[in-house]
Amino acid sequence: MATGFLTDTTVCIGCKACEVACKQWNQLPADGYEFTGDSYDNTKQLSGTTWRHVAFIENPKKRRLTGDVDLVALAEDVTEPLPGGAELDALGRWAFMSDVCKHCVAAPCQQACPTGSIIRNEFDNVYIQPDICNGCGYCVPACPYGVITQVPNDGRAFKCTLCYDRQIDGLEPACAKACPTNSIQFGDVEDLKVIAEQRVQELQDKGYTQAYVWGTPEVGGTGGIDGNHSKFILMDEPEVYNLPRHPFLPQEKFRGGVIASAVAATVLGAVVALAFRD
Amino acid sequence: MSETTRQDSVQQGNGKVQTSHHPETDPNRKDKHYYGIPPIKHAHWTWQVPVYFWIGGIGAGVQMFSTVAQILGHGDKDLQRVSRYTVLVTMVLSPILLIWDLGRPERFLNMMRVIKLRSPMSTQSWSLVAFGNLAGLIAARQAAEDGLLGTDNVLVRLTKLIPDRLLSLLALPVGLNVGSNTGNLISATSVPIWARNWVFMGPVFLTSGLSTALSWLSLYLRLTRSGRPETLHALHRAEKATILIEAGLIAASLFRMSRWAKPLFSKTVAPLFVGGTLIGGIAAPFALLRGEEDRRKSILASVLVLIGGLAFRFAMIRAGRISADDPEAYFTFTSGENAPQPEDKV
Repeated sequence: MATGFLTDTTVCIGCKACEVACKQWNQLPADGYEFTGDSYDNTKQLSGTTWRHVAFIENPKKRRLTGDVDLVALAEDVTEPLPGGAELDALGRWAFMSDVCKHCVAAPCQQACPTGSIIRNEFDNVYIQPDICNGCGYCVPACPYGVITQVPNDGRAFKCTLCYDRQIDGLEPACAKACPTNSIQFGDVEDLKVIAEQRVQELQDKGYTQAYVWGTPEVGGTGGIDGNHSKFILMDEPEVYNLPRHPFLPQEKFRGGVIASAVAATVLGAVVALAFRD
Repeated sequence: MSETTRQDSVQQGNGKVQTSHHPETDPNRKDKHYYGIPPIKHAHWTWQVPVYFWIGGIGAGVQMFSTVAQILGHGDKDLQRVSRYTVLVTMVLSPILLIWDLGRPERFLNMMRVIKLRSPMSTQSWSLVAFGNLAGLIAARQAAEDGLLGTDNVLVRLTKLIPDRLLSLLALPVGLNVGSNTGNLISATSVPIWARNWVFMGPVFLTSGLSTALSWLSLYLRLTRSGRPETLHALHRAEKATILIEAGLIAASLFRMSRWAKPLFSKTVAPLFVGGTLIGGIAAPFALLRGEEDRRKSILASVLVLIGGLAFRFAMIRAGRISADDPEAYFTFTSGENAPQPEDKV
């Protein structure tokens, strides 16, 4: 059975409980006091010490509050024009997204790893074995989502384990457990796929036609990655959430590069041989 | 959203309800970014990696030149000696530099846990092990012949049993893989400037390695006034040809990288790439090598090529860092047919 996450960004309230729960359960160190000055988001990005990250996306292009703002209507998700000439799009004003390792079906980091430290465990999650990793850092630029980094002072690379230890004990990952709105759902990838499709259909029926599932082979999984076990329901273009539209499997081109190099080596050998001719 | 509608909405925003900072109104920020935070992470690699790329390239190139000379029956003992010792030194230094760069150097042997043909880092590690051991055996035979191991003891007699000429032939493909795989290793990543150039990255690193190797051999033989005239002549001709091929491959790479080549011309990398590589490492030495062979000119050209090769590797690694840190580069690269697709042909 393959397990994974479904992160429904439409119900995320940006409470960052998942970030805290993840840090706490996995005993991850703090990242220091950094104030970006850009937004309320001061943890900025995923890293070797931040395995869940809630993005705070301010979307003023959709933020249209005019006339008398009806806060009750706002809370109740009303999208049609309001009395008094007020217009609003409640979901568009703020977007939150709890980002996490995508647990790719064909994982670039796993293919890059020269020590075999990165494996697929019995839950079909991409897992870095901390006792094997020697900190070569090659998985870091290989990841198309910027999930892994090498942790300074430790030297090894880390990322979301999908709470491997909790799963072994039959518990759901800490972030999913902590999520108060069920924005983060954990389960069998096949089940999550159905839930995601139903939810997107529900949103589209409500008039949010921009909703879609990101992380399926069709969307966000081209170029050899074959989709992700961490899926997301998004309401805007992937780049808005700092996600690539069409990530690709970097190793896909390695064979071609080796062939091109062999051709070059042959040509250079001939050139050197010719240089010896009188 | 188009530029005009965005402008409109920004203008509409004026005087309307404003609750917080508006990322869209920041002129330094372009559309569709998350506060300009890089969507991918750059490699942590420090100076050891580009220096290894340079040294490993020299080892590969020297192996190529000396083995071709051997195959053609060109028996220059001075060339053979300097080649074998050079390859040994490069293959001793390379693993030291690479292990130094590891986050957990004491675990370097974990590279030998598995063989993964899909991982350029794994094939590189194994190639280094194979090339290093072969280079060690060949250099041992050379040392025995040079009398460095003493005279007529058991060790010398055993060492002289090493089939050096056969091992040189075996070391050639392994060495070539060490030289070209450095390029393939960086192109098999998500970094736009590297990944985009997957066709030429291996060839350009191999060619640059050969040109630095030829320059090293030529420099050594001319400084020590050793080597046969035919060897020096062949080196001279091969240097010129290799520099031309290298220039062509760099031009092809720039064409292939197209807009993602921008970091190579950025303020911090341009001095290395344009000044160090294109002018100092290719144009100037080629001008010096043209016409009649001249010892002084050749020595100067060799030094320039060696420095240019090192500058090229630093430029490539630094440009990759800038490219990875640029959200615009990555998002344009992954938003369409720009990214390498599985159905791409070589």
